[in-house]
Amino acid sequence: MNREELIKKWLDNNLNTEEQKAFKLLEDYNNLTKMDASLKGFKAPKFSVEKSYRTLKPQLKPEQSSSKKWLKPLLRIAAVVAIALSVYIYTSNLDTEINTFVAEQNTIALPDNSTVELNANSSLSFNENSWADNREVKLNGEAFFKVAKGQQFDVITSSGTVTVLGTQFNVKERESYFEVTCYEGLVGVTHNNKTITLKPGQTFAFIDGKLLANEKENAVQPNWLHGESSFKSVALKHVITEIKNQYNVSINVEDIDTSRLFTGSFTHNNLDLALKSVTIPLNLSYSKSGQSILLKRE
Amino acid sequence: MSKPLQDHICESQLFERLYKRHSKNLHDFLYYKFGDHLNPQDQVQEAFIKLWQNCSKISPDKAKSYLFTTANNLMLNVIAHKKVVLKHHLEPQKTTTNETPEFVLQEKEYHIKLQNAISNLTEAQRVAFLMNRVEGKRFKEIAELLDISVKGVEKRIYGALKKLRKEIDGI
Repeated sequence: MNREELIKKWLDNNLNTEEQKAFKLLEDYNNLTKMDASLKGFKAPKFSVEKSYRTLKPQLKPEQSSSKKWLKPLLRIAAVVAIALSVYIYTSNLDTEINTFVAEQNTIALPDNSTVELNANSSLSFNENSWADNREVKLNGEAFFKVAKGQQFDVITSSGTVTVLGTQFNVKERESYFEVTCYEGLVGVTHNNKTITLKPGQTFAFIDGKLLANEKENAVQPNWLHGESSFKSVALKHVITEIKNQYNVSINVEDIDTSRLFTGSFTHNNLDLALKSVTIPLNLSYSKSGQSILLKRE
Repeated sequence: MSKPLQDHICESQLFERLYKRHSKNLHDFLYYKFGDHLNPQDQVQEAFIKLWQNCSKISPDKAKSYLFTTANNLMLNVIAHKKVVLKHHLEPQKTTTNETPEFVLQEKEYHIKLQNAISNLTEAQRVAFLMNRVEGKRFKEIAELLDISVKGVEKRIYGALKKLRKEIDGI
């Protein structure tokens, strides 16, 4: 065995007895052992496994550290979900609101195929999401309802609530003017905690704090659907308000008793014709300058 | 391929076993490679803390190489390769000695020579050589620790020996 092999075996502590002898006979045996002995002095400082583990142990947080690992991203996901959910809930609980401007009419289809004709200068709002449980609309102004058969249907106005099952009816709620006319089916009107039931053709009107007698209505639909507003013994001021809703004009009165009653109708298509049909029966005249109209005695 | 029994080491008992198995070797490795001015003890602890923090991602059979790589990187982060000079710890001197002052002086000179020679070894040579000579580890053990072949270890150690002999004894 050559010298290099022997030395390598010696380095690996792998000499058998025979090789040991051969190794000892090497000329540099003494040098090698001397160096080897001296090398021991370079030993790494003592490292006490037990002791250093004891110092390390308190720094190792219990498995928590690993459980927190998933908690953090989970919390992030939860936060995003919570925000998304609250946005969804918020938006889905928002009411759908439809407005009409002066001289504008609109037809609205409700989620259950009920339809609403919304007259000028009115607003209607309802909640699409809770519609299945709660058929409820809020009305400000005038509208004609064709309600699909089903559960209770409520029209809430500031003057009172109209409750129906499946029918056609008109609700008009303007300033100090509340009128409900039933065209088909049965309509319940709750006003000042009193409930009145309307049969087809009957009208409930509460005008200027006075409850007016029910009157027979023969039409199948309110006239305003056909471009005409009609009144029966209604104070002039309410007629004027309605003209303002149908035409974008301002109306001033001069020296006129606006509580005079008017029976008749006016068209929505022709301002002059409309003004004439209101003023002539009451012996009034009008003058027009731009968008403002002055009513006066003849 | 058989799946390892566990895919993580987040159990404190398992972790403790790993610590007992590897910490000393890791410490010696760091010491022989980088010397003691960077406090290998602390880096060992650091590496094990890192191991624990990532315990869920590391399987037991990967732990050793993770530790060595991490500790090595920790060291490299700190130093800009300084020359490593290992201190020679002289055996406690006997108060009375029957050796001649000349001999004592020779011994001292020899140590200094040896120290310089070791400093001149490459990092790889020094680590393998001292683990072998000082810690008494066999080639195979060193090969496992350093993730290299036994032949590679032999080459490093024998190369180191040759270098030392040349510098000290002139052969």
